[in-house]
Amino acid sequence: MNKIGLIISREYTTRVRKKSFILMSLLGPLLIVGFIMLTAYLKKGNKENYEILVVDESHLFDSILRNSTKYHLQWAPKDKSYDDIQKIFKADEKLDLLVYLPINLIKTNSMTAKCLYKDIPSTGAQKHLSSIINEAIELYRVTYNKIDISTYKSIKTSINLDVVDIENKANKNIQRKAIVGMVFSIFIYIFIFMYSLQVMRGVIEEKTNRIVEIIISSVSSFQLMMGKIIGVGLVGITQFLIWSLVTTIMSFTVLPRFITDKYNPEFQFSSEEISKNNTLMNTSNEIIQFIIYEIQWPYLIFFFILFFIGGYLLYSGLMAAIGSAVDEEADTQQFLIPLTIPMVFALMMAGKVIDNPSSSLAFWLSEIPFTSPIIMIIRIAMGIGDSSVEIWEIILSLFLLIITFIGTTWISGKIYRKGILSYGKKASYSDIFKWLKL
Amino acid sequence: MPSKNIIEIENLHKSYSGHKALEDINLNIKKSKIFGLLGPNGAGKTTLIRIINQIMKPDSGTIKFDGEILSRKHVYSIGYLPEERGLYKKMKVGEQALYLAQLKGLSKKEAKEKLNYWFEKLQVTNWWHKRIEDLSKGMAQKIQFITTILHEPKVIILDEPLSGLDPANSLLIKKEILELKKKKTSIILSTHDMNSVEEICDEAAIINKSKKIIQGNIEDLKERYQDNLWSIEYIGNQMSFSNAVWGGWEIIKHHRVNEKNNKAEIKLFDNLTINQFTKGIIDHVEIVEIRKKTPSIQDVFLKATANE
Repeated sequence: MNKIGLIISREYTTRVRKKSFILMSLLGPLLIVGFIMLTAYLKKGNKENYEILVVDESHLFDSILRNSTKYHLQWAPKDKSYDDIQKIFKADEKLDLLVYLPINLIKTNSMTAKCLYKDIPSTGAQKHLSSIINEAIELYRVTYNKIDISTYKSIKTSINLDVVDIENKANKNIQRKAIVGMVFSIFIYIFIFMYSLQVMRGVIEEKTNRIVEIIISSVSSFQLMMGKIIGVGLVGITQFLIWSLVTTIMSFTVLPRFITDKYNPEFQFSSEEISKNNTLMNTSNEIIQFIIYEIQWPYLIFFFILFFIGGYLLYSGLMAAIGSAVDEEADTQQFLIPLTIPMVFALMMAGKVIDNPSSSLAFWLSEIPFTSPIIMIIRIAMGIGDSSVEIWEIILSLFLLIITFIGTTWISGKIYRKGILSYGKKASYSDIFKWLKL
Repeated sequence: MPSKNIIEIENLHKSYSGHKALEDINLNIKKSKIFGLLGPNGAGKTTLIRIINQIMKPDSGTIKFDGEILSRKHVYSIGYLPEERGLYKKMKVGEQALYLAQLKGLSKKEAKEKLNYWFEKLQVTNWWHKRIEDLSKGMAQKIQFITTILHEPKVIILDEPLSGLDPANSLLIKKEILELKKKKTSIILSTHDMNSVEEICDEAAIINKSKKIIQGNIEDLKERYQDNLWSIEYIGNQMSFSNAVWGGWEIIKHHRVNEKNNKAEIKLFDNLTINQFTKGIIDHVEIVEIRKKTPSIQDVFLKATANE
């Protein structure tokens, strides 16, 4: 086996055999699936039932306000004043909300209803209340204006707007695919950061152990650095593949059993983008269908791996250089901050990119190598084609990533070569520049 | 014609950021000998060793390895035990030794066979599955010594190989070093332990303030730095001894050994030989013993570095 292969295999096997790796491989998917289940559970597990006291000044609502067991309405005594009723509400522990419907609410549109609470009601409960009040007012006005109820029902509609790309009809409602892109983007961030930090720690370990001197008397320092970077990177890819596999298996076995197919009006996919775009996915069936059929998984996983490799190579080279310049991990802070800023900035901008995936902000962030892995994967998840990202943009982005990676690796190699042999002194930026010049 | 030197260094210069680490070093290291590389801390020994190991590049100068210009292929012919020692703490002893041996060009099978031999020889067989962090410092050092010599290199560079070893293990390693020499291995020993230099080295060079001061056979070096000091034991009167020969010498030390015997340490100046001196005193006192005082390597070292 050649030297670099030996180094790669040592870096790989020592890490993959660690208990923490095996634990993470199993825990990761469990956490992902667990998180999805938890969100689903929390949605369901929100306060199940509300006892609501209604003050109806007009006395017109009692017959038309929709009552249910979940939102159970009871009518405040008509002879008591609003102030007295508030006292009753406060005193009675069983009551959760007090809804105040002023006298003219039903007649004009200028009034507002009020909801007083002890513990703030969920947004679902708030939506429900305003919808039943609106519904009641509409019903009243329908009868008042002598309109036939069935006519009214046939007029009242609630349609969804499908936003479709004319060039590629498959690109439908791309924003809601962004949620998957966002998840992948966070994964890319975590993976790049986690594994390039491991490279840095490995370098520091070899340096403080002083074994580095023995190794670079057998191989060149560049071979050692690249062997380490590649070995650790392969660990990352292995971890990702295990996660994908286990998550897929779990999604098809555990998840459907947990998410029942019963109609559940409160269940929504937890993204504002989705509700904003009025493409509510009300049933878990829809979510599963969406996840399975609408996302272009092969592309997504393929590009995820490519952009992970590119971003990882870019950052891990620099991290190796940082590791070589210090004697202990505590000294890395000053060098790490400038490296993390672009990645965190990219994550912060993700929302804007989702909002307009073909904007120039989205374009530049997905082309500049230090942010491109994080942003490009969102655009790819939203669909390849005119509406989000074109194939030439992806190729250009990868090309720039590779060029920059080669450049940073060259620089890192120079810093690394000097750094690993200088002990006892914490390197400053000016030392590093000196090493670069030599 | 094959060279009688394993390493030949000519006009070697190295400086980093304005500071001269090595200045015009010329050094020949003979085959199958133990060569002591001496010098105070910061003299440039480590830099020189790193350059021979090709961890660093010199600014100028040439190094020949067994007659050839030193190149990448020679890393397989060199074994290096650095002063700052370390191994992967979490890795098992056996795996680690295999890894390092393979990096030095051995196949896995060869490495295993040789490791078995050495582990048995140095009585460390039952450590194979232990982690380095579970070994004592001395134990780890033994492992590292094995990994240094395992690939049977032509040259072994040992930087303070005995520091931190208990006397028994120190003896064991010294014995192995001498045995390696018998097997025609050339050894470069960088150390501050002058006793071991005297014990096992054939040649030595002293480097001080980035320059080589002296180099040569251990005995020659001592000869060169001897001060013509003699120790004389005699029976007789101290006055008669002192006045026997006029001029050309001085007494450094004098003391009474017992009732009859005196012992003097004298220094002869250039115009007086020991024979002339002996002739002069022979009628005045009875000579018991005359012995030349040779300097220790420690004396040579201190003198050589102080003169600079």
